Amino acid sequence: MYRRLLTGLQSATLRLDVGIQRVLPQDFNPLYYTGGLANLFLTVLVVSGILIFLYYEPSLEGAYASVEFLTRDVPYGVVFRGIHRYAADAYMVAILLHLFRNWFTDRYREARDSQWLSGMVLLVFSGLAGFTGYLLVWDERSQMLTSLTVQALRSVPLVGHWLAEVFVGGPGVSDTTLPRFLFLHVGPAMALYVLLWWHYVRLRHPKIWPPAVWVLFGLGLLFILASVLPATSGRPAQPGASPEGFPVDWFYLWPYVLARWMAPGWALALVVALLAYGMVIPYTLRETPEERGLRALGQAVVVDENCTGCELCYYDCPYNAIYMVPSPAPGKSRAAANRKLLAVVVDSRCVECGICIGACPFEALELPRMLDRDVQQRIQRGAQAPAAAAT
Amino acid sequence: MATKTETAQGTPVRVVGFLCDWAVRSEGLLNPDDTLVGMPHVTVIRVPCSGFVKPGWLELALRSGAAGTFVCGCPMGDCLNREGNWIMEDRIDQLRKRLARQKVDPDRIAFFAYGLHDQQAFLDAVQAFVDRLRALGGGKA
Repeated sequence: MYRRLLTGLQSATLRLDVGIQRVLPQDFNPLYYTGGLANLFLTVLVVSGILIFLYYEPSLEGAYASVEFLTRDVPYGVVFRGIHRYAADAYMVAILLHLFRNWFTDRYREARDSQWLSGMVLLVFSGLAGFTGYLLVWDERSQMLTSLTVQALRSVPLVGHWLAEVFVGGPGVSDTTLPRFLFLHVGPAMALYVLLWWHYVRLRHPKIWPPAVWVLFGLGLLFILASVLPATSGRPAQPGASPEGFPVDWFYLWPYVLARWMAPGWALALVVALLAYGMVIPYTLRETPEERGLRALGQAVVVDENCTGCELCYYDCPYNAIYMVPSPAPGKSRAAANRKLLAVVVDSRCVECGICIGACPFEALELPRMLDRDVQQRIQRGAQAPAAAAT
Repeated sequence: MATKTETAQGTPVRVVGFLCDWAVRSEGLLNPDDTLVGMPHVTVIRVPCSGFVKPGWLELALRSGAAGTFVCGCPMGDCLNREGNWIMEDRIDQLRKRLARQKVDPDRIAFFAYGLHDQQAFLDAVQAFVDRLRALGGGKA
């Protein structure tokens, strides 16, 4: 059932590509660059965030006023604030598209699990940085989000009260609260770059930037949105006030909408459960080698006696699964007799695609279940088959 | 359709192709002997990724008597293994230049990029390729 659903989603995802390619050339399909687009918007967030940071004052009295000053009195301040606001949404859209596309197109299992896991952790940190951004304005919405978060954290068994105190920096909201929120906003955002290293470490030439046309389109879209729909604050936070509602940013604040129907603790539990499920997705529904068919031909194997240490496979492997090590002994073939290096396949990274086999001119790499010799036989049979079958 | 794969002299145009597992859906596309439905002179070898194909194999196909050979990868940018089809396109460019120096017509090698749902477009492209080969004449054998 679930498997059939995934197969259907895969088919639908690729069907969508067919539609997009009626309009755009293949390699301009924005869905091929969701990761690059996310990185573009993250860069915009960092740059605009630094500019906003220069004006921001993390204190109970000054926070709201400093944001208002930025919005009203600083030249183009309202545009920067708007760009920061909408780039955050665009970023979340891009990473969700990235997540679902890679999920539905089967790019998360086996050796690719490290990228999936780092992606889930990136999602957690992005969500954290996103929602704490709404706390910093310190308007009625921030106040309400803070109180809902405190309620949710308090209902965590055993460590709840401690977590709530860590969150606001004391038993209640005080002067330590906003500096702490500022850290909770900027800290996770910085951590994203460490996590991106984890996300990229197994990839050779990761596509970290979309084509120029999409960069310009993305930036233009942000400028237009920021100018047409400027980001604004609600009424300033008042101690003791209990605001009724707030405008919701659906990409970051949806768990707080749930709090309308369930206790905040349950909303938190739901988010945690969703993320925990996300973490185990690569390990659910394991496919047998028969089901994976041509994608399970076994990890590439280096034929020691033929390897010349030429590094061609090392440069072509898209997953950084081949390392060149100093050759412990000369190879047997004439070309390999004087080698200095030897290719070694890192099994945990190899996705069994065979790109290294195509790269190797020395017959020094093989996929165990599709040997060079057998392919050559099939080619010769195909090239020479008698014309009897023709009609 | 099968008769179309013959040259003017009546010699069948033999083609060996490689089809990436992530590209065109192969169900209903291949006969049990790995030839293409409706084109019994076109043998298709399914591979895990277009980047798996050694340029030497394409050369071998031509030297073994095939009039032409092609590789079909998935849409550029959509490679399941990130960049197999870009790498393969590049290798085929290099192979074409090398073959041109050896007086082998580079048009005998083709590279296609079609996704899961593009079966008909793929078949049309192969047919067009076979027609071009027919104009060029049969293979070496």
